[in-house]
Amino acid sequence: MHVAQLRLTDFRNYESETAELSPTVNLIIGANAQGKTNLLEAVHCLGGLGSPRAPDSALVRDGAERAVLHGRVVRDERRIRVDLELRPGRGARALLNGAPLPGTRSLGEVVVTVFFGPDDLLVVKGSPEGRRRFIDDLVVKLRPARYALRREWERVLKQRNALLKTARRAEARGVNETLEVWDDAFCRAGAALTAARLASLALLAPYVAKRYEAVAGGGRLELSYASEWLEPAPSDGALQRLGAIDEASIQGVLANRVRELRVREIERGMSLIGPQRDDLVVRLASGGGSGPLLDARVYASQGDQRTSALALKLAEHDLLTETLGMSPVLLLDDVFSELDGARRRWLADTVRDMGQTVFTSAEPGTLEGTDPDRIIAVRAGRLEAHG
Amino acid sequence: MYAGPIQDLIDELAQLPGIGPKSAQRVAFHLLKATPSDARRLAESIIEVKDKVRLCRRCFNVADRELCEYCRDARRDPTAICVVQEPPDIVAIERTREYRGLYHVLQGAISPIEGIGPAELRTAELLERLKTIPPSSPQDGQETNGLGSGSNDPDANVEEVIIATNPNIEGEATAMYLARLISPLGILVTRLASGLPVGGDLEYADEVTLGRAFEGRRRMSG
Ligand SMILES: [Zn+2]
Repeated sequence: MHVAQLRLTDFRNYESETAELSPTVNLIIGANAQGKTNLLEAVHCLGGLGSPRAPDSALVRDGAERAVLHGRVVRDERRIRVDLELRPGRGARALLNGAPLPGTRSLGEVVVTVFFGPDDLLVVKGSPEGRRRFIDDLVVKLRPARYALRREWERVLKQRNALLKTARRAEARGVNETLEVWDDAFCRAGAALTAARLASLALLAPYVAKRYEAVAGGGRLELSYASEWLEPAPSDGALQRLGAIDEASIQGVLANRVRELRVREIERGMSLIGPQRDDLVVRLASGGGSGPLLDARVYASQGDQRTSALALKLAEHDLLTETLGMSPVLLLDDVFSELDGARRRWLADTVRDMGQTVFTSAEPGTLEGTDPDRIIAVRAGRLEAHG
Repeated sequence: MYAGPIQDLIDELAQLPGIGPKSAQRVAFHLLKATPSDARRLAESIIEVKDKVRLCRRCFNVADRELCEYCRDARRDPTAICVVQEPPDIVAIERTREYRGLYHVLQGAISPIEGIGPAELRTAELLERLKTIPPSSPQDGQETNGLGSGSNDPDANVEEVIIATNPNIEGEATAMYLARLISPLGILVTRLASGLPVGGDLEYADEVTLGRAFEGRRRMSG
């Protein structure tokens, strides 16, 4: 699948511009703050998941009422028209070949992208929140229908925390009866999300290990799911088995722990366990991979952390290619300049086999070996194509 | 900002649900252009609705008398009570012509974020409607204290409570709460099945909808 053409109207700093993209490797070049990342962001938005870095309201050009994207997408040799209109405060609307979709999320059935920017390079050592977002995004990309599940979970968590916050106060009558009801909803939605995460991670793990070995030229990477409540703790490659654990038993475990923690949760006024506190752990064995596996967050060098992050994203691309039967669009935002020479050359070589790639750079000097089929120069929100 | 009365009107309108500052401004200027009699008619109907419309003493539906039209109607089946969140839900159910029982309007759903718990809803009143202990009840053998047990009470023999709260998480939580509250009374509690939209494609249904449809599946044979 690839995006052949993208017309941007009042999107970020673009008033009205059209980009023609190659189905292979595309380079967007320009000085900083000219709109390179905005163009990648626009391609990402065609997938219906919003911007990877900002709320919809930030996507509308200053002074404009709405931002509009018209995409021409080629998938299985079919040409598909995707129109997306972002209206701050009034939501977004999407059309597929001119027919309105029930929600913009349905665009995920048509356009799938993998976005990799400087922030993503920090995912291994950054906050657990970033890693949870990575896995939850993957959960939805693998099955767009799971978006409702994620939304339900987030809403239930908010409601339960709001109730726990007031539960201590004497005037909060009937809290215990209602808390039991929210516990049920919490455990049900929490277990469903956890099961979806574990299933997705189990699918992802072998691809990550393979990509890490290739980028790092050796060594070993293992993914595990860290959870304070899930027993037994899924680590040391147990993910393969965990993918098969059923949702009902996860729900049972969570419900038991929630009951045990009742008093403490009321004291603290918030949910103390659950998927909202879980984490994705990357562990590395350096050298020939024979050494002990160590938590990359703490023990890995910055270079190894970046290599792991790159491996995670490329593995996401591999997994989506395999399960969706087509390559997602790979969006690399200013990544080359952050890598050392050897990894840069390896990446330039690798993306040639990964379907459509769009990457940005402010430093042409870091691009040796990338050999793009199309170069688009960006200057102050205007596009100029070369090649 | 506009001068005096027009800004006051915009501010008042902007308090209404679903009306943002922009719409409030549009409505206000529309009203400014209206004829004096049109404007007066609107103002009067707002005052009238507050004066004359009240909530039904029994079910909390909107009513122009002490009891609403359904509670007054002797042809309705008094053994069934359908619990809804808001009065418009009754209108929607009535359109189907499938249901002939009585109603109970909760006036909302449980939502801790908005500070709404059972005490803020008409749950105690619902329980009161159901709490008539049948004469043959084996429970503690005591005489009833007369609370809600009058033999002329139309709710004295409710057999089924149908919970028709919204199919979102607040509505589900409310339904679950009510089911727990009512089950000790030995009355059948049912929940409207929430299922797949008619005319929709199964493959496009989201996981939550599909999951609920599975839970609510019905037997076809065997
Ligand atoms: Zn009534």
